[in-house]
Amino acid sequence: MTVQVEIDEALGREYEAGFISDIESETFEPGLDESVITRISKMKNEPEWMLEWRLGAFREWLKMEEPDWALVDYPKIDFQAISYYSAPKSMKDKPKSLDEVDPELLRTYEKLGIPLIEQQMLAGIAVDAVFDSVSVVTTFREKLQEAGVIFCPISEAIVEYPELVKKYLGSVVGRKDNYYSALNCAVFTDGSFVYIPKGTRCPMELSTYFRINEQNTGQFERTLIIADEGSHVSYLEGCTAPQRDENQLHAAVVELIALDNAEIKYSTVQNWYPGDENGKGGIYNFVTKRGICHTKAKISWTQVETGSAVTWKYPSCILKGDDSVGEFYSVALTRGRQQADTGTKMIHLGKNTKSTIITKGISAGRSNNSYRGLVKMAATADGARNFTECDSLLIGDKCGAHTFPYIESRNPSAIVEHEATTSKVSDEQMFLCRQRGLDPEKAVSMIVNGFCKEVFKELPMEFAVEASKLLEISLEGSVG
Amino acid sequence: MSEWLENAISRGQKIDDWLNPKRSRALELLSTTKWPTRKTEAWRYTPLRAIQSTKATQLEVVSELTPLAIADLSAIELVFKNGKLDKSALSDTLPTGLTVSLGSELAAQQQLQAIADFSEVKPDRHLFGLVNDALAQDVVIVNVEAGVKVEQPLRISSLLSQGAESHTRVQVSLGEGAELAVIEDVQAEGETLNTAFVEYFVSPKAHLEHYRFALQTGTNVSVGGCHFNMLDHSTMHSTIVAFGSDLSRLDTDIIHSGEFVDAKLNAIYLLDNNELFDLHATVEHAMPNGTTEENVRCIVGGRAKAVFNGRIHIHRDAQKTLAELNNRNLLVSKTAEINTKPELEIYADDVRCAHGATSAEVDKQALYYLQTRGINRAQANVILNFGFINELIDLMPNKVLAEWIRPIIRARFSAMKVN
Repeated sequence: MTVQVEIDEALGREYEAGFISDIESETFEPGLDESVITRISKMKNEPEWMLEWRLGAFREWLKMEEPDWALVDYPKIDFQAISYYSAPKSMKDKPKSLDEVDPELLRTYEKLGIPLIEQQMLAGIAVDAVFDSVSVVTTFREKLQEAGVIFCPISEAIVEYPELVKKYLGSVVGRKDNYYSALNCAVFTDGSFVYIPKGTRCPMELSTYFRINEQNTGQFERTLIIADEGSHVSYLEGCTAPQRDENQLHAAVVELIALDNAEIKYSTVQNWYPGDENGKGGIYNFVTKRGICHTKAKISWTQVETGSAVTWKYPSCILKGDDSVGEFYSVALTRGRQQADTGTKMIHLGKNTKSTIITKGISAGRSNNSYRGLVKMAATADGARNFTECDSLLIGDKCGAHTFPYIESRNPSAIVEHEATTSKVSDEQMFLCRQRGLDPEKAVSMIVNGFCKEVFKELPMEFAVEASKLLEISLEGSVG
Repeated sequence: MSEWLENAISRGQKIDDWLNPKRSRALELLSTTKWPTRKTEAWRYTPLRAIQSTKATQLEVVSELTPLAIADLSAIELVFKNGKLDKSALSDTLPTGLTVSLGSELAAQQQLQAIADFSEVKPDRHLFGLVNDALAQDVVIVNVEAGVKVEQPLRISSLLSQGAESHTRVQVSLGEGAELAVIEDVQAEGETLNTAFVEYFVSPKAHLEHYRFALQTGTNVSVGGCHFNMLDHSTMHSTIVAFGSDLSRLDTDIIHSGEFVDAKLNAIYLLDNNELFDLHATVEHAMPNGTTEENVRCIVGGRAKAVFNGRIHIHRDAQKTLAELNNRNLLVSKTAEINTKPELEIYADDVRCAHGATSAEVDKQALYYLQTRGINRAQANVILNFGFINELIDLMPNKVLAEWIRPIIRARFSAMKVN
């Protein structure tokens, strides 16, 4: 087991994005009741109906119980110990351009490698950067406006496009959907809003970078993407967080609406602080992501999950329209004491709907990595088709890899195929690589990258490079 | 808590016999167990309405019931009638090395052992297993001495007359290197309820051949379990055939407690009308070098509902495990339903595990092919669907049983309405 020894020796990599930027913040006192929600709503200048909507969700949330079915273990969250609003102070005088933005903030993004300045133009990315809870700066708005695309903070959309928000907010993930989404409905402070008009191909890839900064601040983003008939959009989401001792809760909700013939591609690279090697600190990532596909529409979720102490996340597709398509490609890497319970739900309602699920789970250290998915073929889903492939790779003998697929079929003409395998990085593979002069770290990284290739090829180019780099960095810590 | 369970607990409290230590333990666990709802993972797809509304009760009168004849099968018959052991059915001369006794009639020393073994293999999570612990009528202890190969299969039949409720329990131990085949079956008339649990203790190098036939349909409620504790180098081969009923649920637990254990489990479901069959098959690989192979095939028609949960759990120490599960389902009507969940929970790295699950109807092209050969559609459907499960019948080690069940399955399938 010499390889194993070398692997273990290299344990203990520092978290690269682990720094705390020093920006004065205006933060609510910890605690949650109706007055806090009213305050959030007031701060955002929200219309009355929005406040009512939030309060309704809060009342539902009070009646709900925290879910306990996932294979994750964490101390009970004290929701009264969390502050539900935090905004960088410099927001008060609303920066109109990049020059007006707090240089400290810009430096923070630079450290994370977010191209917020000119490089962006070259990269062709419009960034709606969320620093804690408020969108700080949005670039490329005008270029998008030319195409008729709306890409703005959701708080702004509530005020400026109330009819769109009213129609679609909560239409895919209802207020009563689950414990964390109900909480999000009540207290979300910001997030992104995207509307792609009929027949429009969004001229650039849209991207949001999330940061969690204030201590004890929960992040409750809300993302709403509407792709009108025949439109196309690719959305990128990436996250990092500074090193903290306190556990931080993150309960985002993402809703996607793909109307007839529309296509939404949603890609995520998630690298929040996973906690130290003893499992102290780290982000709790309890996210609800769901999209609805109308006739001939397509939603594709691609995710690379390497961060967070606890992940509870199931990006899903409701394939309502005939001939609609849902896809889920995922790489989830856990190490140290990370726990991930992630997967997808494909609900086939329409005729000839198709879904593909490809997941790659990599467990190292003392982590646990579970795939949990549902494929449901309703009685109406004539000729529907699903293909699922879940592969797990174990690195070390103290981690766990689990698969919990639920298959429910009520239609004989629907075809469901599921397969799952579990294996480890074999000594033979390692030997071959090392024979050719690769050090163990590089060898494992290469093998793992090959294992994940099917998913990486689904990522937009910039993300694919970043994802493969991220995997390499993450493995440095746990594989060695 | 449900009225039915409260009633069961109060009946259990009145029983006073040799099993008291285990019965009171079960009652204590039951008193804190919640009645399963749709939100209870283990009963997610299987509603318990049929139990709550059953009128079946424990009957004192044992009616005239005889086990279904199996042609050419010469078995050692162990017959329960409405839960009571029918001693007259048991042969006076058992093969050497095989003993069959009522737990209540064992000598003091052996009885202590029986109490110690009772409910040791069956996990406490089975709600109706606990009910069976508390209410089991005649507990039968079967023992095969080390090195003894019993030629004749042992057949455990549980017969129920209209309106009867029964709780049967058998504990089977195989000594080192012993060999035994066990056939479990239930026959019920009309509205009945039975819990039937068997625990197997398989010593090193012993071999167990196992069959469970759940062919009773209609208003019968059957909840049972087969639990296998496997020691070093022991092997087992189990075949389950089920037709479903108002509520039919079986839990199997195969526990690899020793190294180099080889376990095979094949299950066939053939469900029609409003029938439901739910199989929860759990394999615990607690020790290294074990192999498990599971094949579960379902054909579901009518408004029937098939539920399968196949859990393979590889513990931290179970290195070099090889485990495979294959679940294939055919839906033959637009109102049938299949719910399957093959689970893998793996904590050891040097293992090879895989599972697969499919759900579909018979391949249209295969049907077309047969039709072009002059076989009409209905016949072609029978050929293809029957072929799907025939493979598993072929794998049954006991050919007499295979030839007995084959026409029964064929007849059942022919009566099913296929789209």
